[in-house]
Amino acid sequence: MPANVVARLYAHRALFLNFVGRELRNRYVGSVSGALWAVLHPIAQLAIFAFVFAAIFRSRAGNLNESQYIAFYACGLWPWIAFREGLARGTASLQNAAHLIKKIAFPNELLVGAAVTATFVVHLGGFALALVVLKLFNQPIDFIGVPVAILSCASLYLAALGLSLALSAIQLIIRDVEQVLGPVLDLLFFLTPILYPLAAVPKSLQPVVSANPLTYLLERLHEALLFKPSLPDFGDLIAILCAALLLLTGYAVFKRLSPHFEDFV
Amino acid sequence: MAASLLQLDGIGKDYARSTNRSGHLRLLYDLLRGNPPTDFFRALNDISFTLEAGSSLGLIGENGAGKSTLLKIIAGVIPPTRGRLSVNGRISALLELGSGFHPEYTGLENIQLAGSLAGLSDKSLRAKREEIIEFADIGEHIQQPIKTYSSGMIVRLGFAIATAVKPEILLTDEVLAVGDESFQKKCIAWQEEYLKNGGTLLLCSHSMYHVQKLCKDALWMHHGAMHRYGPAADVTTEYLVYHEEKSTLDRKRHAQHAVFDGGVYAVTGLQLSSDSMSTSSGLHRQKLGDPLTVSGELHSPDGRAPGVSIGIVRIDGTPVYGLVSEADRYTPARIDAHHFAFKLRFPKLPLLPGKYTVRAHALDPEGMRLFDTVERDLFVEGATRELGLCRLDHRWGDADAGG
Repeated sequence: MPANVVARLYAHRALFLNFVGRELRNRYVGSVSGALWAVLHPIAQLAIFAFVFAAIFRSRAGNLNESQYIAFYACGLWPWIAFREGLARGTASLQNAAHLIKKIAFPNELLVGAAVTATFVVHLGGFALALVVLKLFNQPIDFIGVPVAILSCASLYLAALGLSLALSAIQLIIRDVEQVLGPVLDLLFFLTPILYPLAAVPKSLQPVVSANPLTYLLERLHEALLFKPSLPDFGDLIAILCAALLLLTGYAVFKRLSPHFEDFV
Repeated sequence: MAASLLQLDGIGKDYARSTNRSGHLRLLYDLLRGNPPTDFFRALNDISFTLEAGSSLGLIGENGAGKSTLLKIIAGVIPPTRGRLSVNGRISALLELGSGFHPEYTGLENIQLAGSLAGLSDKSLRAKREEIIEFADIGEHIQQPIKTYSSGMIVRLGFAIATAVKPEILLTDEVLAVGDESFQKKCIAWQEEYLKNGGTLLLCSHSMYHVQKLCKDALWMHHGAMHRYGPAADVTTEYLVYHEEKSTLDRKRHAQHAVFDGGVYAVTGLQLSSDSMSTSSGLHRQKLGDPLTVSGELHSPDGRAPGVSIGIVRIDGTPVYGLVSEADRYTPARIDAHHFAFKLRFPKLPLLPGKYTVRAHALDPEGMRLFDTVERDLFVEGATRELGLCRLDHRWGDADAGG
């Protein structure tokens, strides 16, 4: 069965790439500078973060020292934005392509995959660029941790993909999913050490924040690129296996519901 | 033995539905557990047929009969709820031309996307791009975003892409000929070429003319089930009859049997017969071109020979032919003091296949007053692609110089 699925998806790789290309182009289509925005956006974002967090939130940045906080925000924010936006776009992807689902025979999961993948390509591309820029500005980024960062981002990607597959399918039947997802992700943002290190969390709240699986991935990103650079360890492997399990579960939900997509779109 | 190109075995489709909010949750719960939905609409039930390579099937039926759902199942857009579907060939579905297009993209970019949705690899798409552009023939517009296209241009491009797939089974839903006159000719030429080269066609249409022209067999679907399956000519004729009857249902029907009032001239019996069969009640069937004999009895209150008028109308009420015995100087033959017999023969009834009504009216001997009406239904069978009510004597080619 999994071999079947893989073969079927592989046979449609051209379509998948077309979908991804379309997702990427949709962000910039009609704009004058086109793909240039893909480069300008993350740099502008980094400048904004640097200004806002350095000038305004500086005192709240826990026990981070002067030289660390911009790099700290950058290491967490890009992967989080990729996750958040990937999940939001992935969840909406089926409903937005109702006209295709109703009329054309193709593996519908490609739509979800393309939405999530394109989002991660954009933001992780921006992330990489941001890291290079930070390094050039002498921020304490350590590239030894890149393999761990890649694994952590891969886990985020697989998790976003798995959740999107399930939620996009459920969204077709229950349209409230998208509405609920926004506030839930907002809450999750503050329950994940992105703007603050885990150590800065009050003792009473530590278990709550630690119970969030994203906390592990974000902490690993911070550690690997900033605090104590290391190569991937057993924990990273477990994390990516869990993410893969989430993907399989999400895909199973998707497959349960997919015969009925056309009933609802 | 080679597997059939397309085989459907007991195909059924239920559409899940729910009317309220909690119903949606309930439905989600059922579906996630793998249970069938409790509330559903049965769109298709027990559809089975086989399509061999090179054959052609017309799908007919009223709106909502399940034709489009069946096409979608065959095309693979939706899986059937029940039954087994086996497809052994490349399908191209012309379900709705241009449905895969993105309005912001140019024609060229949309060829890329729609082509890959149709299952073409990038490589074969590159090879076919010129062919598609040439077929669509929309000139410079191919470089412009689709949103600037007229609807005609969109379907032209859609048709060009769908045909570039080189399908082994072509599914079409009323989109045989699109665009302007000259593009329609191109579509039809392409289809004829396709069929001539052994292509297989599944055509869903409300045009019986097209079904008869393009399809060998036809499937009449009714309320999601197979109603009739057989040679296209027979099934389409029955289908037309069904519709004609339906459209005349509201009209007040004339009496089916004699109104006999001792005081007036009346038709007391009416038979229709061809050489092989005869019918004195209900529906009379005969083949196109067979002789038809209309015979019956008349009552005359005063013993004088009454006149008779015979008329043939199509089931929808269109008059086809009518005549009066008196005008032909024919007098019904006396049986006894008050009864007379008449007989009228059409040596080769030229009515085209369909359902008709034969009416007989009794007239007074002067041919002035018409008294009652007796009717018999007549069903003409036959396979022909002629159109209209009846076959006119004709000859193709140059007329003889001498006439």
